[in-house]
Amino acid sequence: MTAVLDAAVAAPPPAPKKASWWRFSGSSRYLAMIVGGYVISLAIFSVLVSLKGAGAFSVYHTMVDSTLLNSNSRQQTILRAIPIALAALAVAVPARAGLINVGGEGQLILGAVAATGIGVAIGHHVPGVVSWVGMCLGGAVAGAVWATIAAVMRTWLGASEAVTTLLLNFIANDILLYLIYQSWKNPNGSGQPQSRPLAHSAQLPKLFGSQLNLGLLIALAAAVGIWYALQRTGWGFALRVVGGNREAARRSGLAVNRLIVSSMAVGGALAGLGGALNLAGVETLLRPGTTATFGYVAFLASFLGRHQPVKVVAAAVLFSAIALSGNGLQITEGLDGAIVDVLLALIVVVPLAMAKYRRRSA
Amino acid sequence: MNGLEQTLIGGVDGGTAILLPALGELLGERAGVVNLGTEGAMLAGALGAYAVTQSSGSIVLGLIAGVAGGALVGAAHSWITIRRGGDQIASGLVLWFLALGITSVFGTTYVGTVITPLPNLAIPGLSSIPWAGPILFDHNVLVYFGYVLVALIWFIFYRTRVGLTLRATGERPEVVAATGGKPGLVQFLAVTIGAGLGGLGGAQLSVGYVGNWFNNMTSGYGFVAVAVVLFAAWRPVRVLGGAYLFGIVLAAASVLQTHGVSVNQYLLDALPYLVTLLVLAVFARRGRSETPEALVRSLSRSG
Repeated sequence: MTAVLDAAVAAPPPAPKKASWWRFSGSSRYLAMIVGGYVISLAIFSVLVSLKGAGAFSVYHTMVDSTLLNSNSRQQTILRAIPIALAALAVAVPARAGLINVGGEGQLILGAVAATGIGVAIGHHVPGVVSWVGMCLGGAVAGAVWATIAAVMRTWLGASEAVTTLLLNFIANDILLYLIYQSWKNPNGSGQPQSRPLAHSAQLPKLFGSQLNLGLLIALAAAVGIWYALQRTGWGFALRVVGGNREAARRSGLAVNRLIVSSMAVGGALAGLGGALNLAGVETLLRPGTTATFGYVAFLASFLGRHQPVKVVAAAVLFSAIALSGNGLQITEGLDGAIVDVLLALIVVVPLAMAKYRRRSA
Repeated sequence: MNGLEQTLIGGVDGGTAILLPALGELLGERAGVVNLGTEGAMLAGALGAYAVTQSSGSIVLGLIAGVAGGALVGAAHSWITIRRGGDQIASGLVLWFLALGITSVFGTTYVGTVITPLPNLAIPGLSSIPWAGPILFDHNVLVYFGYVLVALIWFIFYRTRVGLTLRATGERPEVVAATGGKPGLVQFLAVTIGAGLGGLGGAQLSVGYVGNWFNNMTSGYGFVAVAVVLFAAWRPVRVLGGAYLFGIVLAAASVLQTHGVSVNQYLLDALPYLVTLLVLAVFARRGRSETPEALVRSLSRSG
């Protein structure tokens, strides 16, 4: 028992470094530990799925098969990666300023809600391109407003944004449900309540006869834009200063509160755009569970990518594939689709549990 | 029984499902660790309690399983954050996701089934106080445990050496270490026991007063519990007030509906979160200076 407790208790103060063989290869040792961690994670996952009667190895085959092996599933993976990547960047931008935006889910939802409102209202009366612009802008503004509530509560009232953004997610979901069960309900729809569908012209056009749509290009442009803003502009630099040391930033004359609010607003706008693109390109109407926890998956992706735009987008694509593989697992292996949440968590827990070593080897 | 009494009775039942996790979260945060995995601990506790109660027929074993399920999440959170230096916010969310996935996958068997919930025990004498008696003293044992726990935690915090060590760990872990204490052990125990209480809060939902299980049944209550601790400025008695406030708003929403008030259900569903947000807006600044020092670092930075 004591041994168990000792093992679980805080690390002893770092011992003076011994001149051992691995000291000179800190990063490769870290790599080995990460790989070992993933092996353990996948082993745990295998045990869990076999408890539910699925094949411990065939699940991996099913997952790869249903997400990567044919062009159809690859395109689906990319389509889903759009909202996840944008919502993940919505975490990464405020993280630069030291903020924790766990509100990607709510910002995605409101982006989709705003896009639906605009698209359904004007879609039949204006040329497609006007609807697209309107929906994208509306989604971005809605997401930005939602994130700004948390930012302002942080700067003016001192309420932790990690908590307020979470609460706002639940409120956003109730707004969505209210609209589709009440005022936006499609009177001609049957079964599950949903909004009226977008006019065909208002839906984002497909690219080159594939399933991919214009949303992919818009998302890529937004991602490149945000990479540029973070890495190459004074604003991006100022955010990093605020994130590094808020007091020093204040003393050097930066408008800290304004930077905090702007980072959250930009983040929220990205997620809102993601929600709008997903709606206008893929969903085409508002239904319950439209976002399917993409907002939370995105938080994990941003964390895995250590809040660096390029890595964050890569992690988002990986997580999109895993999220999508839930369908395959449901159909082929008879597992509940939520099993992918387990796998996502087991993937992110590895770098989390190695945090100490990363710092040491860095 | 009129609507107001119904609301208050329901508020105490539902409030207890927030109170226990919030008191647990209070323990951890006073030791300097924030645990968003409280939501996951509640889910694990809710399903653990339900599954064991159903298969063993013993609700006592079920409650024990609920505590164990929550404590397991807490132990994982302490291992990741304290022992391995992982980010507290991210670890909490990861564990929530893990619990959400596991309980959804393994809980499907139980969806749609029912069990007899914990019986109400009217306390002789007290429960016959006019009006207040039935509201406060005709509930299940977990509700009474909540009353006792508030007093117990207050006593431990402010009147015992253990409480002093706990609070000192939340303020200045290095001082505790310098005086021969073990801040890591204190944090591990506080977070694990706290999450065990989170599990018990989940059990209050599944076997406490309803007697069923459905996927994601905690629907954000664990996050509300964390918010309650913030606006209660880390004081046990205020945590009680905040938790019951949430419970009452929750109950009011459903009472309004049964009384045929034609408000959309989903707007009512949003009400408890909205009220929590508003209270947080009013009280956050006031509580700021009371934030345990060691917590400030984890709440203001991620990554």
